Amino acid sequence: MNAAVARELSVFYGSTEALKSVNLEVPEALVYGIIGPDGAGKTTLMRSLCTLLPYSEGSIRVLGYDALSESAQIRARIGYMPQRFSLYQDLSVEQNLRFFARLFRVSRKEMLIQREKLYEFSRLKPFAKRLAGNLSGGMKQKLALSCALIHTPKLIILDEPTFGVDPVSRVEFWQILHELKREGVSIIVSTPYMDEAVQCDQISLLHKGSVIGQGTPDEIIKAWQGSLYSLKAGNLQELYKYLQSKVDKADLQLFGSEIHLYSKDGLRQELIDTWKHEFSGLASCEEIQPGMEDVFLKMMQ
Amino acid sequence: MISLKVIGSFIKKEFRQIMRSREMLIVLFALPAVQLLVMGFAVTNEVKNLNLSFLDYDRSATSRALIQSFDSTDRFRIVPVSNAAKPEELISAWKASVVIVIPPGFGADYGQGRQSNLQVIVDGIDGNTASVANSFVAGVVGDFHRKRMQETMHRSPIPRLNTQVELLSSMTFNPDLRSSLNTIPGIIAILVTVTSMMLSAISLVKEKELGTLEQLLVTPVKKAELMAGKLIPYLIITLVQLQVAIVLAGLIFRIELAGSYGLLLLFSMIYLFTTLGLGILISTRVASQQQAMFFSWFIMVIIILLSGFFVPVQNMPRGIRWISFFNPLSHYMTVLREIVIKGSGITQLMKELWILGGSGVLIFGLSVLSFRKRV
Repeated sequence: MNAAVARELSVFYGSTEALKSVNLEVPEALVYGIIGPDGAGKTTLMRSLCTLLPYSEGSIRVLGYDALSESAQIRARIGYMPQRFSLYQDLSVEQNLRFFARLFRVSRKEMLIQREKLYEFSRLKPFAKRLAGNLSGGMKQKLALSCALIHTPKLIILDEPTFGVDPVSRVEFWQILHELKREGVSIIVSTPYMDEAVQCDQISLLHKGSVIGQGTPDEIIKAWQGSLYSLKAGNLQELYKYLQSKVDKADLQLFGSEIHLYSKDGLRQELIDTWKHEFSGLASCEEIQPGMEDVFLKMMQ
Repeated sequence: MISLKVIGSFIKKEFRQIMRSREMLIVLFALPAVQLLVMGFAVTNEVKNLNLSFLDYDRSATSRALIQSFDSTDRFRIVPVSNAAKPEELISAWKASVVIVIPPGFGADYGQGRQSNLQVIVDGIDGNTASVANSFVAGVVGDFHRKRMQETMHRSPIPRLNTQVELLSSMTFNPDLRSSLNTIPGIIAILVTVTSMMLSAISLVKEKELGTLEQLLVTPVKKAELMAGKLIPYLIITLVQLQVAIVLAGLIFRIELAGSYGLLLLFSMIYLFTTLGLGILISTRVASQQQAMFFSWFIMVIIILLSGFFVPVQNMPRGIRWISFFNPLSHYMTVLREIVIKGSGITQLMKELWILGGSGVLIFGLSVLSFRKRV
C-alpha cells in the first residue's frame, strides 16, 4: 500500500493555479522528497496532503483515507511539521511535548515511553526545562520533529524542515530521518536544497505548480542527455561575458567558482582551444558528471 | 467525542502562558484597579467646591449672615473679591463660577418684610453644572429665609399664619446622591467587557500569527475542544477580575452589594458569552493581532458610548436609542446597577435576562460557525 497518493491534484488561490494536475505516489517506509525552488507550490502540496487545504480538483488519499471526507482519521495518524517553527515558544520543551501528546490523545504511560525515545535520538533531554523560544535553530527543528512524532504516526510530512538550520544540524537532522525510515515511518519532506534531494529515496521535482520529473535521484540524473563541462578562470565574470557571445545563454550556469556549460552533442577540442586562445584567462575546461542541480536547472527550461 | 482531558490541557497551557508574562498579569489585574480608582473618583457629575463670589453693596448684618450661610456647605468655596469687580469679568477670568450681587438696602428691605432682590450670575458653559449650582443657591437662600422666619415667629407674641407649601423630597437607594454609587457599577461593566473581548479577540489570531494554529489544526483536536480550551480560561480570568473590582469598590468607595452575589455572577456569565463571542468572531476574521486590536477597540468605543455610561440613553435621539436597545453592555450595566444599588431580584430583571441570553446565543453561535478548522 502507498502512504499517500495524489491524482490530478489542482489547487487554486483565487484565479492563480498553485498546483496543476499533480500526480504523486509515495511508497511506504521511504523518504520521499518534494524538490523545488521557492514558489514552486511545495507548501501548498504539503498542506493539501495533511488535510489543511481544501483542493479544487483531483483526489488525495493518505494512509488509505480520503483527504476531504476522512480528514479526522488522517490527522490522528500523521505528523506534520510546518515550514515556520510553530510550537509554543513560551512553554518548555517538556511542556510542548506533553501538550501535543494530550491533543493526540496519547495516554500518559505511552507518552513517557515515547518521550524517552524521542529525547534519545534528538538529544534534547538536557534541555527539557528550557523554553522552546530559547533553543537554537537546530534544536527547535528537532523539538518540532519530536512533537510531530509523539503519537508514533505512520507518516510524517515535513515542510522545509532544514530551512535556516546550520549545516551540522542539517546533517544530523537527515540522519534522524533515515533512522526513522528504518523503523518503518514513511516520510514526505520538501526542500529547495539539491544536496538534500540526493538523500531521498524518491523525489518529485516541482516547478511552477507542475511536476517536471519523478523517480529516484539516480534515475533522474541518468536520464540526463548531452554533456556538461566545467570551466574555470581567474576572472569568472569576464569569462561569463565572453562565453555569452559564443554559446546560448540558457546553456550557461554560474556555479560558485566555476561555470557549467551544457552542450547537447559535446564540445570539439578545437573549439575549446580557440576559446583558450581568444580568452587567455580560461584556465580549464573539463567534461564532468552532472549533479542534481544541473539536472534540475536544465529541466526547468 | 469531546475529551475533558484535552480541554484541561488547553486551560493549563493558556494559564501557563498568561502567568509567564508579567506584562499580561499587570494588564489583567493592576490596570483595572487603577482604572477603577481613577475613574471612580474622576467620573462624577456631583457639583462640589464651586467658586462663589459676593459683591456685597449692602454691608448690613443681614447680608453678612446670608454670606455666612453659604460658607457652611462644601458645595461652595467663597472667593473674596473687591466690590469694584464686575461679575462677568470674574467669571470669564475663571475666578468664580457663581457671583451673587447683594444690592444696597437689601438688609433694610428684608427686615421690614418688603420685596428684596438678589442677583445671581452663573457660568453657563457647562449647562448641567450651572443648573445644579443655581438650585443650590436657591436652596441655601430658602434655608436662610426659613430660619429667619422661625426666629421672628419666636419673638413675636402673635403667631403669623404660614401658608407656604413645602416640598419634602427624599432620594431612594442613594440618599446622599453619591455619584460613585452609579458610576462604579458602570466602570465594572466596562472592565468586564474590555478584558473579555480583548483576550478572546487576540486569542486565535495570536496563534495564527505565531504559526501555532497550523500545528494545532493538524491534530485531531475538535473545534469544540479548542474553543472551550481557549474561552474557559478567559471566562475565569474575567470573573476573577470582576471579583477584585467588587472587593475594591467595597473597600474604597464603600459600595456594598445590595442584591444577590449569585445573581450577579449568573448575569456576568451570560453576558460574557456575548463579549467572548464577539472577540472570537473578530479573531477568526482578521489576519494579525494589530487588526484584532483595532477592530475590538472600534466596537468597544461604540458600545461603551452608547451604553448610557456617559450620556443617559433617554437623552439620545430616537434612532440611536434603538441602537442602544441592541447594545448588550447597556443592559448588563443596568443589571449591575440594579443588583448593586437596589438589590433587585431575578423577577425584576427578566427582560434583561432574555435580551442578554438572546444576544449570547446569537453572537456566540455566529462565532462558532465562523471558526473553521482549515488554514
